Amino acid sequence: MNLFLHLAWRNLWRNKRRTLISTSSVFFAVLLALIMRSMQNGSYDYMIQSSVGLYLGYIQIHGEGYWDKRSIDQSIVVEAEKLQSFASNPQVTHVVPRLESFVLLSKGVSTKVAQVIGIDPPREDAMTGLAHRIHAGRFLQKNDTGILLGTGLAKFLNAHCGDSVVIYGQGFHGVTAAANVPVVGILKFPLPDLDNTMSYLSLEYAQWLFDAPGRVTSVALMISSQAQLANVRSQIERMAGEKTEVMTWQEMMPELVQSIQADSAGGILMLLILYIVIGFGIFGTIMMMTNERSREFGVLISIGMKRWKLITVTVMETIMISLLGAGVGMVVGIPVLWYLYLHPIPLTGDAAAAMVAYGLEPIIPFSMAPGIFIAQTVIVFSLAVVCAMYPLLVIRKLKPVAALRS
Amino acid sequence: MKRESLHIIVLMVFSCSISSAQDALEIIRKADELMRGKSSYAQITMTIVKPEWQRKMTMKAWSLEPDYSMIYVLAPARDKGTVTLKRGNEVWNWLPSVQKVIKIPPSMMLQSWMGSDFTNDDLVRASSIVTDYTHTLLGSEAYEGVECYKIQLIPKPEAGVVWAKVVVWISIKGFLELKTDYFDEDGKSVKSFVGSKVKSFGDRQLPAHWEMIPNDSPGNKTILEYDDLKFNISMNEDYFSLQNMKRVH
Repeated sequence: MNLFLHLAWRNLWRNKRRTLISTSSVFFAVLLALIMRSMQNGSYDYMIQSSVGLYLGYIQIHGEGYWDKRSIDQSIVVEAEKLQSFASNPQVTHVVPRLESFVLLSKGVSTKVAQVIGIDPPREDAMTGLAHRIHAGRFLQKNDTGILLGTGLAKFLNAHCGDSVVIYGQGFHGVTAAANVPVVGILKFPLPDLDNTMSYLSLEYAQWLFDAPGRVTSVALMISSQAQLANVRSQIERMAGEKTEVMTWQEMMPELVQSIQADSAGGILMLLILYIVIGFGIFGTIMMMTNERSREFGVLISIGMKRWKLITVTVMETIMISLLGAGVGMVVGIPVLWYLYLHPIPLTGDAAAAMVAYGLEPIIPFSMAPGIFIAQTVIVFSLAVVCAMYPLLVIRKLKPVAALRS
Repeated sequence: MKRESLHIIVLMVFSCSISSAQDALEIIRKADELMRGKSSYAQITMTIVKPEWQRKMTMKAWSLEPDYSMIYVLAPARDKGTVTLKRGNEVWNWLPSVQKVIKIPPSMMLQSWMGSDFTNDDLVRASSIVTDYTHTLLGSEAYEGVECYKIQLIPKPEAGVVWAKVVVWISIKGFLELKTDYFDEDGKSVKSFVGSKVKSFGDRQLPAHWEMIPNDSPGNKTILEYDDLKFNISMNEDYFSLQNMKRVH
């Protein structure tokens, strides 16, 4: 066996140019497939990450029917001990209670519909990094009686830090919720949708304002990894108790899941075309190589070389070429992707505008998930191995006399 | 001969339908007149009934046909002094706790008013059951033991009405609108408005107890009880000003 390996290796370097051409065709194939898939998966991860991490969380616990009706009347009482018990799950990294409602915000003659969210400031900041979005003024504190406004909202109302705005809406079970609250901070969101509609109160103040003591409309959970989602969900479901619903981000955003699936199907089709092109590229070089060497094979067989030995050596050569190409592809691909992963490509123009409209930052992110590297390398490698069947067939059927004369 | 008799039958049927249409219109007009006045004052107790909770509010309401009305909340204490003013297509709220008048923006018009089964838009929409519909008398039918005319109302194309069809039961004696059913395009009954407990208010006999029952959400309803109701009181448009809104009590 060692001899075969040795022979195969020597054969490779007998014609350096031929080997280099074959290797580089595999190399480029791996690199291309890697970059393409990494870009696709990166953007899906990014979409999920930004929706989930920015606000939604991987899992949310609501009162039964809240997600459909979005009414504060479906709020639930969640005691501190219960929040603790959610947090005690080893997979759960953040537990964020919220009291959400739609209200009218008014200052002077301007009035606007806004989403107001009562938050536990430190917990909210730990999950979504809200405090870093403060553009002017300060972040909320526990029991704060002030309000934070998105920049767009503040601009519409012409409100600055220190001004007062009137909140008017409906509280729990239809009570009137009205209050004059000082603006303590202005938040800058990357997404205009949030910027124009979001406002934050402290949870305690929101509970007082909406006459919903101890109540929350949702508890958002962040977990350590997407892979644990189903597992954690069933554990949380058991803990949450009656008259609640536990939903994953997929259930809360089916449209995101669908758009990812649709896009991914398109991406896989593109990859398929790429694989076909790559496959024929590799096949072409191997066919050329085999035909070039048919005289050599003829000589070897006629002086008594066993065909299977010859086949073993040529298959080994092809595998070596594939391994070399795939290996170099990985070696070059990893730092390139690592760089792109750390420095996503910024988008400009119409594409950027479209992404902003979808509520995403206009960048092309890349994924460094190990699955991509393994999958692409394995696929391209097996393509090469399939191509290695060609010399095998040729050698089996080779007529030494004809080959010698060619 | 045959042809002539056919003509006569057609003529008879035709004249019949005309007379029934007139009858229906006449009945609707009488019922509508009974419910309205040039101006009115009422004291109302509104109970919002939901499957898990109930809430009672008392309020005073003034109206001046066709464009003006004002509602002052007396109880519960937390909402006392809140005023809703309707002027034409606009709805304004006065919030005494923050000393501020807020105009309800168009996007909030379909939101519920004070947590009830009425929307802000219900307060504003001024479709007339007399002029905005074509009326057909479907016959007479007993409703809760009271013999009633059953009349179908189909909105005229130009009328801004969201319903595909409305059916009302009007008592033969007294022309009281005892029940109104609202239907959507699929022919499904969306909500019913039901009156009962006839009382005399001044010179008129009217149901004092009204229930708004949304048929798609069981266990929900809004009950209106008229504790007092006066018609044709003396008032003019000035009463329904943004300034007066802050002063009424």
